[in-house]
Amino acid sequence: MSKAIRVRNLEYVYPDGTKALKGIDLDILKSESVGLIGPNGAGKSTLLLHLNGILKGQQSSVEVLGMKIEEKNLIKVRQKVAIVFQEPDDQLFMPTVFDDVAFGPINADYPEEKVRAKVKEALKGIRMESYEKRCSHHLSFGEKKRISLATVLSMQPEILILDEPTSNLDPRARRHLIELLKNLSLTKIVAGHDLELILEICQRVILLDEGEIVANADTRGVLSNKSLMESHGLELPLSLAA
Amino acid sequence: MHLPEIDKFAHLKSPLHSWDPRVKIISISILILSIVLLKDPRVAFLGLILAIILVFLSKIPFSFVFVHLRWVLFFVLALFVILSLTTPGNLLMRLSFLSISREGARLSLLISLRAISAALLIFPMIGTTRFNLSLKALQKIRIPDKLIQLLMFTYRYIFLFLDEEKRIFTAANSRGWVRKTNLFTLKTTGNLVGMLLVRSFERTERIRDAMVSRGYSGRLKTLDDLTLCGKDFFKAALAITGAIMLSLSGWMG
Repeated sequence: MSKAIRVRNLEYVYPDGTKALKGIDLDILKSESVGLIGPNGAGKSTLLLHLNGILKGQQSSVEVLGMKIEEKNLIKVRQKVAIVFQEPDDQLFMPTVFDDVAFGPINADYPEEKVRAKVKEALKGIRMESYEKRCSHHLSFGEKKRISLATVLSMQPEILILDEPTSNLDPRARRHLIELLKNLSLTKIVAGHDLELILEICQRVILLDEGEIVANADTRGVLSNKSLMESHGLELPLSLAA
Repeated sequence: MHLPEIDKFAHLKSPLHSWDPRVKIISISILILSIVLLKDPRVAFLGLILAIILVFLSKIPFSFVFVHLRWVLFFVLALFVILSLTTPGNLLMRLSFLSISREGARLSLLISLRAISAALLIFPMIGTTRFNLSLKALQKIRIPDKLIQLLMFTYRYIFLFLDEEKRIFTAANSRGWVRKTNLFTLKTTGNLVGMLLVRSFERTERIRDAMVSRGYSGRLKTLDDLTLCGKDFFKAALAITGAIMLSLSGWMG
């Protein structure tokens, strides 16, 4: 199977001198669902921001669907790699749901009919077709999370990156989101601390700590390794702890 | 919590609601301009009546308008008092050691009428269209993109900012902080406001990331869902005729 993402020797130092990523090598295959776990400050979000060129590592190579991330193909990369950020109020910045979901397709210069079709399709995908005219700030947290997903699905990405997708969701909204994610046949990277979610939807998991990959193997194998998990500030998921 | 939504009544049906926002903004802006340039308080009073009629036609409740105008009225009242007492001229009235000149009373009345009329006209102009459509209209009439983005983000995030402000002050109150008229309150308020600004700045960086990752490159693009018809121009003609009549009345004295 061909590679969706190929990262070699990714290093990143923040302007204040903090080394966030140290020599990351990573391959993710097309249609694979990969979990990205690690304690707070491990570098998960920093790594994700490199995958569609928001951050650019020093002397490194990040390739997405065979394209090297460079200035000249950033627009194309960003159409293929969609990020859903942790805080939905950061993701929903337009006055209405329609404008937010249409934001990506319009920036991709799609014709008007195609933009409208993509918005309809994306909202239908998350079962929120009737929300087009609603104001983003009037939605509940769970609704905002789902609309956040629609804002990137409307761009028809090939790779979907989710940063803490279930944080702050009540159990019903969380279950709803998990079902939505399970039905999406895209390459998925899910970062977060919801290990049950990762166990449910990811075949492989990458454990990151202090900017380095410390484990990269099948989900069940990593998540059930008590000593490994505990030595990196994590716990076994409840379903595996029993 | 109470949200300061100016487009709360944009869902109503009225001749102002069905007016194309582009033509509406231009026409009412011309009307506002004609009123603020008036020099005669009697004509300015006619302008105020016209503004009240437009608010009435828009079906926006006067209670809503009054609540949102209260700060303008407070400011106008302060101006009214100051101008009345400080403008030199023929004596109109003496109250103890204070004297009010005829010219001062006339000027303060004129400015108050102009200010209240202009503020009132904002409601039929902006309050009868959903804010996102008003922004699109502004974009179509070539208001600079940066200004529109500034307005859009202010409107989108003011609610979040107010929520955050409430949370941060609740957190302070829950640890026993009580607002008093002392230096500690001033210092704490300063710190909390500073914290709010830092959080807002961090949020802007995250929003920028979210925008860039969806292809934003500096210009805000939206779909054009505004349509013009004959009625829009008829209403514009009425508003502009009103503006011209007011100007002519003022000019002829």
